[in-house]
Amino acid sequence: MDETVAEYIRRTVLKIPRNEIKMMLQKWGFLSEAQLQTLNFHQIKDSISQEVVQLCEENSADIKQAAVLDIIYNHIYQNKRMWSVYQMKKSGEELEYFDITDFKKKFKGRLRSALKNVTITFKEYEDNAIWIRVAWGTPYKKPNQYKPSYVVYHSQTPYVFISSSVLKSNLPLLCQALIVASNYHDIREMELRSHSLNSLKDIVFKRYSQNFQTYSPKPLQGETIEPESADIRIVQENRSEKERIHRLNQEVFGGGPQPKLEFAQYQLETMFKSDPNMGVLDKKEPFRCLVKFSSPHLLESLKSLAPAGMADAPLSPLLTCIPHKARNYFKIREKKSLFPESFVSP
Amino acid sequence: ENVDPQKTAFLLRKAWTLYSVTPLYRFRRSRLRDYARLLSAFIAAEKQKGLAVEVGVELDIRVAVSSLADLRGSEQDQAAVLVQLSLRSRASSRNSEDKLVWSGWFCSVYGDDLSENVPEDFTCLPLFLAHGAETYTSMVGSWFQKTFDCCFRRLAISPLNLSWMVAMWAGCKLDRAASAVELVFSVPRLSQPLDISYAIHPEDAKALWDTVQKTPGEITQEEVDVFMDCLYAHFHRHFKIHLSAAKLVKVSTAVASAHCDGIVKILHSQYLPGVLMLLTELAVSQIQ
Repeated sequence: MDETVAEYIRRTVLKIPRNEIKMMLQKWGFLSEAQLQTLNFHQIKDSISQEVVQLCEENSADIKQAAVLDIIYNHIYQNKRMWSVYQMKKSGEELEYFDITDFKKKFKGRLRSALKNVTITFKEYEDNAIWIRVAWGTPYKKPNQYKPSYVVYHSQTPYVFISSSVLKSNLPLLCQALIVASNYHDIREMELRSHSLNSLKDIVFKRYSQNFQTYSPKPLQGETIEPESADIRIVQENRSEKERIHRLNQEVFGGGPQPKLEFAQYQLETMFKSDPNMGVLDKKEPFRCLVKFSSPHLLESLKSLAPAGMADAPLSPLLTCIPHKARNYFKIREKKSLFPESFVSP
Repeated sequence: ENVDPQKTAFLLRKAWTLYSVTPLYRFRRSRLRDYARLLSAFIAAEKQKGLAVEVGVELDIRVAVSSLADLRGSEQDQAAVLVQLSLRSRASSRNSEDKLVWSGWFCSVYGDDLSENVPEDFTCLPLFLAHGAETYTSMVGSWFQKTFDCCFRRLAISPLNLSWMVAMWAGCKLDRAASAVELVFSVPRLSQPLDISYAIHPEDAKALWDTVQKTPGEITQEEVDVFMDCLYAHFHRHFKIHLSAAKLVKVSTAVASAHCDGIVKILHSQYLPGVLMLLTELAVSQIQ
């Protein structure tokens, strides 16, 4: 077995928390159950990984198998990576039958014709997700296995989720290979990024509960807003206002859990408008700002602003549009909010 | 009042933790060398007691105490006093350089409010800035407190003072391309905490401040309020959020940045006296 492969396997196993190593090796399926039985999972991780490497040596593991283990690790720990969303476009409306073998062949072919030194690995998951791992090299150097790119493609959709390696120069080639393989003609990067891959999927696949078109004037059955004070003398205090805010929030955010995003960024290029009496700035040029909202769970946080008295209800559409516009990066210009689209045309 | 930029270069681009210090009793500028020796012995004793910072290799802490004659505001101010702790490994050769591990300096820039009302034997240096490990700060602070019967207290910076700083610094004229004027707010008491960073292009922030400030060289609370209200209004227009109800925790400009926990970074030597004057004022009001 190649010592670079051995080292790569060793390091991959070291990343795994000790109590999950057995489970991941079983998922990998490269070592037999009998071999797994010989492993002592109660020793320090250094020793465990050494033993795993030895067993892989027995089975003559190569980089292809090692790469599969890496995909398994990254699939389980997908939230450690930052994911960007790309949307592909078809020229016609025809829904073609998706052939996974054809896809893989075309993808590999496109990449390999441009770059000889590249490691390409596929793994399919139950939810129609195809995970692709690409390790990049140069004409003169073997692929760097420690900085691969990961792509998640749901074949029934035009969406691709990419966690790029640091080597961003390979991105155009990756995009090209994707559209060639999937029979689309164009691909663009959406202004949507997050660590939570599932939340990104929720947003673009519209799997979260959205605002209802019709609303009921009263709170939904069984959802009374508990007054904060237990004092029964305080009955009407702000109750109607609280109910109004609650209702508006429901309309805008829906009743269910929000997709998990960590930040939203707004580049503002709007005019500064003020009360003429204040005698302040009245320029003809935009007042340039960059606003960034961050939170462990941004949308839940924004949802709670109006009830907390921190914001007006309804909240600004700039914030509430995040899920259904499927973006968390915005450039806002005066008058109409223009959302210029950036096309990553390879 | 022109401070030699070379001498003050060490101040720039470091995060300083701020303290207010009550006047020092019987502090003698002629005895700086003695103080360095005494402090050194104190630190060595603390380490032997088991409050060691480094374990393993035997390390000597070298203490240097010096006077910074130029670092003051008026003639009434005491010149700043700098304390530096360096590590010299006994194992290393004689020519190896000491590694500076901690610096702290006392200063007063226009601290007349305090020094005017203080008896003869007291030295007023109300502002203390420390950079380095907390354990060293603690040891140096303890020694000074014991030796000069003074009291150190962390200097927090209120949102009110932070807004003064950002208004003042946003208006500063800078010859080089400046970084953004950034205000960082925190909204902690929600179900999920929210941080908001509001960064304004430095030219636009300065243009706004210039229309607000009525008398050059003079700043009033009212002008700061108008400036902040403008920023809040612009924000509210877009997001419908009342930023004034959030907690201002940090401000950052090309001149300096300040955090509400009392941490300051000064980036431009040109405005050093102005920044120190403001901080001295904060320290003095905390003492009084």
